[in-house]
Amino acid sequence: MASKPIIQGQEFPVVTPTSIKDIDEIPVTVDEDRVRVLPGAQKNAASFQFDGEDHTLGNALRYIIMKNPDVEFCGYSIPHPSEAKMNIRIQSYDDVDVCDILEKGLQDLMDMCDVVTEKFTIAREEFRSNQMQS
Amino acid sequence: MPAPSEDVLLERKKLKVGVETVSNQQSTDFPGHWPGENHEWDLEYFKNSMRIEFHTEHASKLDLTFSLIGVDTSLANALRRILISEVPTLAIEDVFIYQNTSIIQDEVLAHRLGLVPLRGNRDAIRWLKWYQKDEDVPDHEPKSDENCVRLSLNMECRWKEGGLERAKQGVTDPDELYENHNVYARDFSFEPWERQTEKFGEDGVRSSHPDILVAKMRPGQHIELLMHAYKGIGQDHAKFSPVATATYRLLPTIDILRPIVGADAKKFARCFPKGVIKLDKVTPGDESAHPEECAGKEGEAKAVVDNPSMDTVSRECLRHPEFANKVKLGRMRDHFIFRVESTGQWDSDELFLESIRLLKVKAARIKRGLLKSAMNLA
Amino acid sequence: MSGYQPQTSQTADSSAIDIHSRAVSYTCGDCDGDVQLKRGEPIRCRNCGHRVLYKKRTNRMVQFEAR
Repeated sequence: MASKPIIQGQEFPVVTPTSIKDIDEIPVTVDEDRVRVLPGAQKNAASFQFDGEDHTLGNALRYIIMKNPDVEFCGYSIPHPSEAKMNIRIQSYDDVDVCDILEKGLQDLMDMCDVVTEKFTIAREEFRSNQMQS
Repeated sequence: MPAPSEDVLLERKKLKVGVETVSNQQSTDFPGHWPGENHEWDLEYFKNSMRIEFHTEHASKLDLTFSLIGVDTSLANALRRILISEVPTLAIEDVFIYQNTSIIQDEVLAHRLGLVPLRGNRDAIRWLKWYQKDEDVPDHEPKSDENCVRLSLNMECRWKEGGLERAKQGVTDPDELYENHNVYARDFSFEPWERQTEKFGEDGVRSSHPDILVAKMRPGQHIELLMHAYKGIGQDHAKFSPVATATYRLLPTIDILRPIVGADAKKFARCFPKGVIKLDKVTPGDESAHPEECAGKEGEAKAVVDNPSMDTVSRECLRHPEFANKVKLGRMRDHFIFRVESTGQWDSDELFLESIRLLKVKAARIKRGLLKSAMNLA
Repeated sequence: MSGYQPQTSQTADSSAIDIHSRAVSYTCGDCDGDVQLKRGEPIRCRNCGHRVLYKKRTNRMVQFEAR
């Protein structure tokens, strides 16, 4: 379908990931448009703004970025509850590029998801086979 | 600097519950927090330390409890939030009422219909796309078979054969007097169109709880309506949420510091729900280790922690002065006892896996969108 | 004297039953029966003679959002 899906009641053009089987179904430009660097950014200190994200991603991302030893500070906020925007601030030590830190954080989060999926599947199969025996 | 011992690490993970306060609430597993310790994100370490334990699964697979161990609150909470508000399901959104002479008002009836949980073939539900409201197209115009599921409800209440006579004789039981006086969710009929007939199969789209009472009627009353169900997410409206509950709680811990024996042990056990504390016997070993409490009491009852996960952390035991310095309550900050209760469209385990997938998709999409803006940074 | 004044006599024109007008269906307030009335007909149930009739709900579709 060529039409641009929108979550009802929200004006930002976020194609919710929930309908997709594969991320490639969504044009990359949609995601490029909802990520921006806020004014005043330096190489080692920047705030990023994501449209259509909330505490779900914000807090998890904050945690994983704080796990990075190059990070001096990381925090997130939702500036206004009725605007679907999430800001994340990263400051780094030793002039490390904060974009790389953010990218690594996202990658680490994805790796983490894979581990949880794998462990959950194994635990489920084990549990079900034990249930069958007893 | 030596690495901290297992005991120290365990103690760090304990959220301490006092009479009026909680302490040690925040995670401290970050680089720079503990001098000389690393705490950098390490996938291998995470793989080894993270565990999942299943506890119970209902035969219907709709109710699941399991423990997610060794992860941070932010991840557990992200998954819980996604379960509630971002996994899509089908729900009735538009109701076209042709006739409603029952005593339930049109708008109330429509609202009730919206809250009925629906289920249908999983692949077909996945195949369905979002429906976007279009200002130019009137709502009752056909949408597409890819984004709109149609259901109808047509019920008319009548007197049963001989019902009127029975009513005159004083019978008041509506079941004996009327036909169709209760409208249930099972009375919806699926109206497939185009590819839906094949995709949804014989069962079609139906309520996952057929016994939901939608309206009550009396003879002569009539409800005739058409419903359009779309795919949506809980963020938009709670009717789209695939779970009745998706919650977690932290595993309670009870540390008995000094032996609690005799009548006190029984009293102690009564401070907790059944199964949390069991009564053992004082052994000669206890007598020599804790002569103050146990001397000459061999064979008497002694309180031992049996299953702390059943505790409600009511803190009742802290109210009694005799236990005040003998027990420490707490919760494991990285042990989440999840309970996922599905409304019927998806099995609980599928839902949890889907929530992880969606979190990953979120991260992947931001990562993808980052590339352009990264260039702009000085 | 004020208030409701039943009309005892009417002009020949308005009391005449218009055979071309459409019959409207009402429900009798007493016997619950169906009463088909045309314009100008006496407001009365043919079955039981009751004078209170209820207009039925139209079959016009009304749309609601299930929210």
